[in-house]
Amino acid sequence: MSNIIETEGLSKQYGNVYRVKDVDLSVPEGAIYGFLGPNGAGKSTTLKMILGLAKPTEGEIAVFGKRVNSKNRLENLKNVGSLIESPSYYGHLTGEENLRIFQTLRGVPKQNITEVLKIVRLENQQNKKVSQYSLGMKQRLGLASALLGYPRLLILDEPTNGLDPAGIQEMRELIQSLPQKFGMTVVVSSHLLSEIDQLATRVGIIREGELVYQDSLTKLHQYSKQHLAVRTMNNEVTKSFLSQKGVAWEAEDDYLIIPQMKDTMMAEISKALGQNNIGLVRIEERKKSLEDIFLELTGTAVSL
Amino acid sequence: MSAAIGMEVLKTKGRKIWLVVAVMMAVQLLWAGWAISNKDANELAQGWLFFLYQFPMLNCIIMPVIAAVVASRLSDVEHQGQTFKLLETIIPAQRIFAAKFIWGSIYMLGAALGQLAIMIGMGFVLHFGGPVPWGALAGYLFFTLVVSLTIYIFQQGVSMLVANQMVPMTLGLVGGFIGLFSMFFPQGFQKLILWSYYGVLMQVGMNWDETTRAVDFYWTATDWSGLGLILVFFVLIYGIGRILFVRKEV
Repeated sequence: MSNIIETEGLSKQYGNVYRVKDVDLSVPEGAIYGFLGPNGAGKSTTLKMILGLAKPTEGEIAVFGKRVNSKNRLENLKNVGSLIESPSYYGHLTGEENLRIFQTLRGVPKQNITEVLKIVRLENQQNKKVSQYSLGMKQRLGLASALLGYPRLLILDEPTNGLDPAGIQEMRELIQSLPQKFGMTVVVSSHLLSEIDQLATRVGIIREGELVYQDSLTKLHQYSKQHLAVRTMNNEVTKSFLSQKGVAWEAEDDYLIIPQMKDTMMAEISKALGQNNIGLVRIEERKKSLEDIFLELTGTAVSL
Repeated sequence: MSAAIGMEVLKTKGRKIWLVVAVMMAVQLLWAGWAISNKDANELAQGWLFFLYQFPMLNCIIMPVIAAVVASRLSDVEHQGQTFKLLETIIPAQRIFAAKFIWGSIYMLGAALGQLAIMIGMGFVLHFGGPVPWGALAGYLFFTLVVSLTIYIFQQGVSMLVANQMVPMTLGLVGGFIGLFSMFFPQGFQKLILWSYYGVLMQVGMNWDETTRAVDFYWTATDWSGLGLILVFFVLIYGIGRILFVRKEV
């Protein structure tokens, strides 16, 4: 599967501080790519650089296989829809007039306005001034603007920010339907792990400007598989004993963390420990939650 | 470009920008009526010269206010709705800048034509002496537009770059007052200040006899170096404003 976005060593420096550092993003075509990270981690800056709204200090960006530069930027962006940070709108105009402005500038057919209004379920509010819209409606209007040209790639930065649970659910369903309905690739950023968990097929985790994880969500879930925590009267001797048996271990407080194994194997280990006069005092089954993994990767408490 | 200008027109729907221009024209009309009301027949014989002297002076305040308000009204819709970050993914930033300038210029042209209409209308109604000085009136329109568009592009640049519209509005008002008071200073100093150019490019001079307290107006030669300088200012300000806007990260 080809990558629709590829960045190489993408960096952005403000003063002496790197807001984004050496980010190698790869977004496969047809994916819903979840770009996850705590607030201020550099998500918006990265997405803005991909859209050409911020100039990278270092690094390369390729969209649709073409290296992006100032000359071909807008040509490339014809196939990209975006909603960055908060929806862009003219409050004194109606929803339909707002879309007409972006439709005209994009040079796409007028009928697209009616279609995208239907997709985001705003057709009944199209003649209302946007200043009278709720935040959820404004977000949906922002999504409608992004969808106007039926782009191949949709970049949505925190699209559920500020929405109530019902609004979040609605937005999530909308986003999830896009790749199947229109063959779009979607990049969606969020600081909410639960949201990305329910949406994305591939995930990139950014921490203090650095990409600390990038792979499928399934693989991330594998990190959360069960393991065993054992405590003995002599953990030091147990460590060498486990190593001799070829069992991987990791010390954590008073425990030794070992992989999940068959009951027979565990029985054998406990018997052998007993024979060596090492008292086995605890065997616990533990499971790392996705939140724990996020915490390990980002060093910040997860927002749920 | 025509699509971008057309969308600028749509964005101003309900913004009542023409109302601002109309109010300022009404102020100018009232002032002109008041200023000419106490003139006798002899003084009315110099009515055209009187207006062509007084209107540029009043323009030092009127036109910068119009320029500041128009530029601010055209730009604050973008700041309020955070639309630059979307627009700049659709059309080049320089086109946004140009479209705003062209549409803003229409308001400035409207104001200048409004002033011309006031002068001509009052001239005919009050039967100013001598033939209508069409050439000087055309010159007035041209010079007023050149200066006003230079001030407008300055205001537009600041309004597009700074989200807080109090900054350009204050600059516009302060500039206008400096322009007005600079008329009491030497021409060399006047030519350093954008807002003074209504006076620099004035086509009429005034003699005031201290003993008789009589006022006499006379035609003056065009200050071509002043015109050249303001055109240079226009090109420079447009260029710098555009570069800064294009480079600005949103």
